[in-house]
Amino acid sequence: MGFEYHQPSTTAEALELVARFPDAEIIAGGTDLMVRLNKTRRVPPALISLRRVQELTHIENGSGLRIGAAVPLRDVATHPAVAAGFPALVDAIRVFGSPQIRNMATLAGNLCNASPGADCAPPLLIYDALVELRSAAGVRELTIEDFILGPGATALEAGEIVTAIRVPPPPPAARSIYLRKGRVQMDLAITGVAARLEMDGATCGAVRIAAGAVAPVPRRLPRTESVVAGAAAGAETWARARAEAQHEISPISDVRASEQYRRHLTGVLVERSLARLASTNGGGT
Amino acid sequence: MTDLLHIGRDVPRPDGADKVGGKALYIHDITRPGMLYGAIKFSEHAHARIVRIDTSRAQRLPGVRAVITGDDVPEVRFGFMRDNLALKKGKVRQFRDEIAAVAAIDPDIAKEAVDLIDVEYEPLPGLFTTADALADGAALIHETDPTGRPVTSNLVPAACSHRSGDLEAGKRASRFVAEGHYTVPRIQQASLGTAGCIAEFDLNGNLTVTAKTQIPFLAQRDFTNALRALGIKDKNVRVVVPAVGGAFGSGLDTHAYEYISILLAWHTGKPVKILYDRYEEFAYLSPRQSAELFIRQGCDENGKLTFREIEVTQDNGAYVSWGATYPNVMLVAATSLHRVPNVYFNATIVYTNNTYCQAMRGYGNPEVTWGIETNLEELAEKAGIDALEMRLLNCNQPGDVTPMGLNLQSCGLRECLEGTAEALDWDRTRSVSRRPGRGVGMAALINVGGGGKIYRSDGSGIILKLDDFGNVNVSYGGVEMGQGLHSALSLMVAEAVGVLPERVIINQTDTATAPWDVGTHASRGAFMAGNAARIAGARLRERIFALAEQVYPGEVERNLAALGEGEGLDEFDFRSVTRDGFDLRNGWLLCKDAGDEPWLRVELGRFLRAAHFAKEGGTGTMFTEEAFYEPPTDLPDWSAGYGNMSAAYTFGVQGVEVEVDEDTGEVTILRMVAVTDGGRVLSRQAAEGQLYGGIVQGVGYALYEEVHSSEGRILNPGFTDYKIPTAADIAFPIELQWVETNDPEGPFGAKGLGEAGIVPTAPAIANAIYDAVGVRIRDLPITPEKVVQALAAKVGE
Ligand SMILES: Cc1cc2nc3c(=O)[nH]c(=O)nc-3n(C[C@H](O)[C@H](O)[C@H](O)COP(=O)(O)OP(=O)(O)OC[C@H]3O[C@@H](n4cnc5c(N)ncnc54)[C@H](O)[C@@H]3O)c2cc1C
Repeated sequence: MGFEYHQPSTTAEALELVARFPDAEIIAGGTDLMVRLNKTRRVPPALISLRRVQELTHIENGSGLRIGAAVPLRDVATHPAVAAGFPALVDAIRVFGSPQIRNMATLAGNLCNASPGADCAPPLLIYDALVELRSAAGVRELTIEDFILGPGATALEAGEIVTAIRVPPPPPAARSIYLRKGRVQMDLAITGVAARLEMDGATCGAVRIAAGAVAPVPRRLPRTESVVAGAAAGAETWARARAEAQHEISPISDVRASEQYRRHLTGVLVERSLARLASTNGGGT
Repeated sequence: MTDLLHIGRDVPRPDGADKVGGKALYIHDITRPGMLYGAIKFSEHAHARIVRIDTSRAQRLPGVRAVITGDDVPEVRFGFMRDNLALKKGKVRQFRDEIAAVAAIDPDIAKEAVDLIDVEYEPLPGLFTTADALADGAALIHETDPTGRPVTSNLVPAACSHRSGDLEAGKRASRFVAEGHYTVPRIQQASLGTAGCIAEFDLNGNLTVTAKTQIPFLAQRDFTNALRALGIKDKNVRVVVPAVGGAFGSGLDTHAYEYISILLAWHTGKPVKILYDRYEEFAYLSPRQSAELFIRQGCDENGKLTFREIEVTQDNGAYVSWGATYPNVMLVAATSLHRVPNVYFNATIVYTNNTYCQAMRGYGNPEVTWGIETNLEELAEKAGIDALEMRLLNCNQPGDVTPMGLNLQSCGLRECLEGTAEALDWDRTRSVSRRPGRGVGMAALINVGGGGKIYRSDGSGIILKLDDFGNVNVSYGGVEMGQGLHSALSLMVAEAVGVLPERVIINQTDTATAPWDVGTHASRGAFMAGNAARIAGARLRERIFALAEQVYPGEVERNLAALGEGEGLDEFDFRSVTRDGFDLRNGWLLCKDAGDEPWLRVELGRFLRAAHFAKEGGTGTMFTEEAFYEPPTDLPDWSAGYGNMSAAYTFGVQGVEVEVDEDTGEVTILRMVAVTDGGRVLSRQAAEGQLYGGIVQGVGYALYEEVHSSEGRILNPGFTDYKIPTAADIAFPIELQWVETNDPEGPFGAKGLGEAGIVPTAPAIANAIYDAVGVRIRDLPITPEKVVQALAAKVGE
């Protein structure tokens, strides 16, 4: 098996290569790509690695964060600004694969792979993250909803790469969390729930809830959110959110879990995440 | 032997460093000059007629050296019922059936060529459950037996039943009865090292197969039969075993891929290697059998067991391998775990179009113990008796001869039960009412610990060869496959001969040099090797001491000349020591009755050189001894289910504390305890390794593992969706304790330990879950989903 392997060092060079080899595969950490190539025994004409592209290896902390597409997850999780402002992302990375995987895998790769259960997607959804795409034609930014279109399908166009994930600064009083369940510690999600809550005294303020592995794409749960927003913090509200979430999602049955259990478990995680956020806020139960 | 110098010590395993350091040669690492790579075309249907196979496109691919189908080569039959063909003809009966094979100059070309083979099928209805396969009018998976006689049903003709005492009388004497259906899924051995082999003919037509196997000598016999089918007579077959990265039963039979590599090697005249990758290992190797058990047990008003009734149905899959003989081993626990007077056991094995199944660690025992030990707790609850008390009340005792005729010469079950209860603080932690969501449970085990006679010999040979330097080279027919056999054996040989363990050199098995051994299974390796080593070691010592009468005085004189003095020289006549007066300890020839003076000790190597290079007039002597140990056991009569099949029995109890999340159904193990009577502990590290490994595998069996399939197709052929526990899941302490009974037949008092660890883990966990939240799961694995459903059903009651 042989293919060309390119290691550009600038974004411009990378884009040039992408244009030159339309059938090439872009490789970041390779933790999805290599598995896929091994499985399909496909030999692409070229691999274009982003790991040495200087501009993509940084996390910029200005107004919000700009996380370069080549930053490994380990560096995302240990960055002080991520820990301070985006704890749900840290939660997701903490349960993500194994240390070896976290040393290689990237946020951008997780989104580009567009798995319904991508662990970083629900946190990025509740943080209103934007995907920064670049091609010879210029730059554009898409929301996660507009970027992930279906299982394995994204809005990436020919000649385009993801250069960064941008996350706006969080509201000062917001708390957030990501809870996920698998069959064993190292597993793909049966379901994962990210939630962000702002409290207004004993009342719930703005709330965002997103879930993975329960629909063709990771998604927000607006109906569940509206049950919570403006409601009194407490067990009753959390239970209503649980019930709503179970209905709102559209999971499938597979070898990992049945549809029924995914509904049940997602409800439990919604209830738990809200209860935990409210209690760390000093409100509710 | 009372003063053991090495047995029981905590020494690192001799093969450990090379394995960790990447120096050990596994089948993956081995190549031969001119070697070709084989690849197999597998069926795309679970049940179909093969209408036509077109290999022309594959033949034309550059780099391909041979493409063969069942029509191109003589029929090679294998399997212990000889119902399987290396390359299938006429019909496929499972998804993994081998239809054609390719040899090519590299593995990628071989796989590409396989994709170019076109097969036309005429699909037949598939039978995927035992009920469907046994239904009236069900299609026949095998229309004839191997001799061509028509058959009338899908039953595998491997009858196994047992009846002892008076079942009806037992039932009448029962005050309480518990019954239920219990199931276990197909699971994978999940060895770290995948399967593979290299077959190679020399120019004289002799065959060498380098094979990942647990049965080098039965494989030699099987491959010899294959040569006969090819019309090759009077040639040698040599089986060489490389380093093995775990087998867990998967190497207990010969496999189609091995015969195919022989066929390809024969066809091309080149060495041919076939190596499975992880996907192939999951999709095309045989897993452990699934089983359905119906169990009914009764007791009197005091909790004394009155009867036990077990009906087993096993889904064998499309061909017969050793999985079909699990019931033979199930009989051990079925008749003999706890004292039970009236026993009925019957097993039905059914052909289906599912993947065919083979051996795995424990071999029927984890399956039947799952049913017995959970059902026993259901019975205890009905009787209002504490489950520990019930086990103690019915505990096996040393000296018991059980309804199957098992002779329990040593038995430490009582101590295992008591030790587990104490470690769990049973009296204070047991019962749901005390600590909601938390519970403790236990389960007991009996396992063969001195071999398991399922073949006409259950023996093992050994050769101990002393070299000129005092090293003992050991040839033994059993296989080190990661279990630590060489650890235990090096200590036993050291002890039996009288050398340091580091002077014992054990090579992996090669049928050209090692004496016959039935195979490494049934926890028998260390037991058999040790007993053979004891015999051979005693013979070596006898011969050394006999020759020492002549050689020793001269060597002492050399000592005296070198040292210039000898304390106590006047009191001891070193010239007239007779053979009974010598001892050999840690590589030194000594006199038993004299002090430990330097001038009196002769280093073994020096002695051996003196014997080898005898002075003028003498004849040189080399020291090599062989011994064959055949344990004093019976080959049971399976239709009566009677016979003392093992020379010793291992006992044990596992205890577990769990926390159950009633919302998610998740079970968190907080700690585990295993108290084991494996006789005397030989190598502490190896013994602990076997228990830890068995328990971890048992946790997988209990909570996670299942080969999922749909209409015969495996849905989770890989670790992405076949989940085994990793270190991150075993985030709880495992406490091991040993009850060191000294078994009279065991080598240095030891009994087998290879399988014990996996046997009672699942029922112990299930019993703890019941204690925690009051739901009884009867189907493995115990997934959170099943717990949630059971909890919901309980609320609904
Ligand atoms: C053992 C193991 C455990 C895992 N555990 C988890 C887990 O717990 N949770 C989870 O969500 N996932 C898990 N994964 C999946 C995988 O690790 C993640 O999806 C990871 O984030 C992928 O990132 P990567 O950098 O390795 O992507 P790569 O494999 O390099 O790329 C993935 C895909 O995205 C494309 N791509 C990557 N970067 C760009 C870019 N900048 N622009 C355009 N296209 C791009 C590639 O061409 C490819 O198609 C696991 C994988 C393995 C092997």
